Amino acid sequence: MKKITYTVLCFLVCWTTACKKLDVPPINIVQDKDVFTSQGGIQAYMARIYSELPIEDFRYSPQRGLNFFWIISPFSAVSGEALSRDQSSAMQENVDESPWGDSYKLIRDVNYFLENMPKYAATYTPAEVNSWMGEARFIRAATYFALAKRYGGVPIVGQVLQFPTSNVDDLNIARSSEEEVYDFIAADLDYAYTNLSESNQVGRANKYVAAAFKSRAMLYAGSIAKYNQISLVDATGKRVCGIPSTKAITYFKASYDAALLLENKYSLYKKAWAAGDKEAQYQNYVNLFFDETSPENIFVRQYHYPESVHGYDSYNVPRQLMGANGYSSEVNPTLNFVEMFDGIPKNADGTIKTTTGGKYDLYTNTVDLFANAEPRLRATVILPGDVFKGQSIEIRRGIYTGSSAGGISPLLPAGSTANYPTANIVQSSNASQTPYNLPGGGTMNPAGLSGVFTGDGTAAISGFSVRKLLVPDKPTSEVLENRSDQTWIEMRYAEVLLNRAEAAYELNALGQNDKAYLQDAFMEINQIRERAGATMLASAADLTNVNVIRIERRKELGFENKTWWDLRRWRVADKEQNSTIYRVLMPFYSANDKKYFFDARTDERNSRYTFDVRWYYEQIPNGEIQKSQKLIQNPGY
Amino acid sequence: MKKIFYMIAICIVAVAGSSCSKLDNYPDPTETLNGSVIDAGTNKTLQTENGGGGTRIKLMEISWSDNPTPFYISSMQDGTFNYTKLFAGKNVISAEGAFVPLVQTDASGATIIDKSQTVDIKGTTNVNFSVDPFLRIEWIGEPVLNPDGTVTASFKFTRGTTDPNFQQDITDVHLFVNSNKFVGNNNFDNRYSPQIDYNGSEANAQVGQTITLTTKGGPLPTKREYFLRVGARTNYGLKYYNYTDVKTVTVP
Repeated sequence: MKKITYTVLCFLVCWTTACKKLDVPPINIVQDKDVFTSQGGIQAYMARIYSELPIEDFRYSPQRGLNFFWIISPFSAVSGEALSRDQSSAMQENVDESPWGDSYKLIRDVNYFLENMPKYAATYTPAEVNSWMGEARFIRAATYFALAKRYGGVPIVGQVLQFPTSNVDDLNIARSSEEEVYDFIAADLDYAYTNLSESNQVGRANKYVAAAFKSRAMLYAGSIAKYNQISLVDATGKRVCGIPSTKAITYFKASYDAALLLENKYSLYKKAWAAGDKEAQYQNYVNLFFDETSPENIFVRQYHYPESVHGYDSYNVPRQLMGANGYSSEVNPTLNFVEMFDGIPKNADGTIKTTTGGKYDLYTNTVDLFANAEPRLRATVILPGDVFKGQSIEIRRGIYTGSSAGGISPLLPAGSTANYPTANIVQSSNASQTPYNLPGGGTMNPAGLSGVFTGDGTAAISGFSVRKLLVPDKPTSEVLENRSDQTWIEMRYAEVLLNRAEAAYELNALGQNDKAYLQDAFMEINQIRERAGATMLASAADLTNVNVIRIERRKELGFENKTWWDLRRWRVADKEQNSTIYRVLMPFYSANDKKYFFDARTDERNSRYTFDVRWYYEQIPNGEIQKSQKLIQNPGY
Repeated sequence: MKKIFYMIAICIVAVAGSSCSKLDNYPDPTETLNGSVIDAGTNKTLQTENGGGGTRIKLMEISWSDNPTPFYISSMQDGTFNYTKLFAGKNVISAEGAFVPLVQTDASGATIIDKSQTVDIKGTTNVNFSVDPFLRIEWIGEPVLNPDGTVTASFKFTRGTTDPNFQQDITDVHLFVNSNKFVGNNNFDNRYSPQIDYNGSEANAQVGQTITLTTKGGPLPTKREYFLRVGARTNYGLKYYNYTDVKTVTVP
């Protein structure tokens, strides 16, 4: 009897609990309502999509793609701004690390936000909702821009695609024309500008960030309309590569107008600047990249040790300040880059002047050659003998032991790519050196503490080392991989001014005269030059050629991962890198003179750079092409 | 019990054994496509380079789909091609390279010229294309080995097409030097190969003129053969190079 009672009881107990509803949302997964109904939830959503934003920052290299810690084939060694021992040729971005797939994931996340945010709008004020919607549209635009600058026209996905779906073919979306993609970007950024708030958290977009990005994107579109020679038209007549040249004016105007929106909202960083004081101008330019309150910073990506880090200092410090990981000197600015600046002795053809009457000029210290250099050059590049972290950075190729009577003739004929003769030159193959006994007493190592070594690339192989963005007071014990956390400045006001100047110049060149465009370009260039401590343009008539503006841009934005894209959109990369060997400047110490001389020559490794014309439109990953019948490959792949 | 065990064992062996039979019974691709890309002006094959930067043949197999993913065959450097592992099928075939495009579209995407050929590939199929190169480059005389160990070569280039839409500025000309017979923009010894870069339209005055280039970088190493070729290109599209044929110089 007892047994039966228990059985019935058991049965009843089980039955009652069965009344519980089983169809509940999984409690271990964050629901839309958890995210969209609180400020914190939205901030978390934003944090994620910002972190995925495809910008080429401290964690980018063309070889290893976005958001990767190991940066030993740096971008600047692909664009010709620098030489690196681990990069010896031109390249397109590694197709296997293509940002294509990740960009579309990010676009989906943004579209999801755009579709779901309005459902929870009642929780917030309309201004908050509008601002977030604008922010999401800004991120989508920036992501499409990252795709467009690489691939040209790409499929535009403006809503969340549902999968699984009744008709899989609906998920195959053909590429839009390049023009449509840029128009889509412009529309998103216009929306963002209208709806975003005036200010936002550091690292997030406000309305002026949207305007600044528009000035950048439209400048790219205008350049492609004007300079591109490549065309790819799909079966339906869409030009997926190339923009009709008639659109150039429209896009340059859009760029110019967008740049105007930032006027008086941001300004060039001049906190430590003083007129006529080169030292102050130099210090000001160094500080610009580290002052978190800089009025020039428009859009930044912040890092913080230990949870979000990079290794910029570790990879790029001069050899003599190498940290414990054993990395150093990955970015060595080329002489071609240095020669763009003012204040160094130059020959008539613009190359650096190191000889007089066929004999080398002699200097007591290596840095004397650069005594009058533009402050911006010193702040961008560590010149041989200049001071960094309290040390004089010693860069010397070797000791010349030959006779100095009547001056020293060039070691090699002009233009020679041969090795230096070994007679009369003492050199060192690595950092463990045998001191050389100088005539008249004293010893000296053949090479400087930071190179140049003949058998060891961990040295200033170009005769220079990079300074820009290196933390000037970071102790060597902290110069480690994944130990740096300085902020990446993706967009600063100087770029906006340069965008405006370039757009204005191009508009003037295209015959537009509804405004005094050339005069305006002249004003912007001079603002940049004044802050840099460079030689000022006398009048708008000095803007004889678009290269004045382009060179200004390359100097100002050097080593900020922008130049390669500029060379591409100007369609000059294949001309500039056409079996090109970049130039270097080798300081030698003449033992008999007790003075230094400099030899300007081509890269001793004879690394040739050739930009393949196909790379103006990068290869779409083949895996993506195979997924969709409608996706067509760029020309030549 | 034992019986059941054996039954199961036999079943497993039978199933495992039958899975070895081949299911892919489609025959291997065995059809051959060969042919040449021929300069319409000279009736010679159009010289090009090996690999991605040279002429390539584009096959669109329309037996199964109206919108197939194209399949490309690279041409050999002398302008001929030979591919022996194709499936039989109906293909639309065209070529891409340093010549006036065989398929041209107007601004709206409508095809205005289509010289592609629709061919049933079966057995050995031969397809030739007659094209107008952007530039026609000819040797003038033979390359000469100078007493100082360098080599001097003379050549001229002329426009291969009268269509002004394809007469863009000439951007550069190279004398490519290599130590094997595969020589071109993607394969040359850059220590010795000289080049001339032109700005804007300044090269247009050089059309038809004799141009002379001498190898750079001092004397060529001795006791070997060098293979020379001139390449030049215009500022059109992907800027393919046009080439002369390969000349050999023996440095004693």
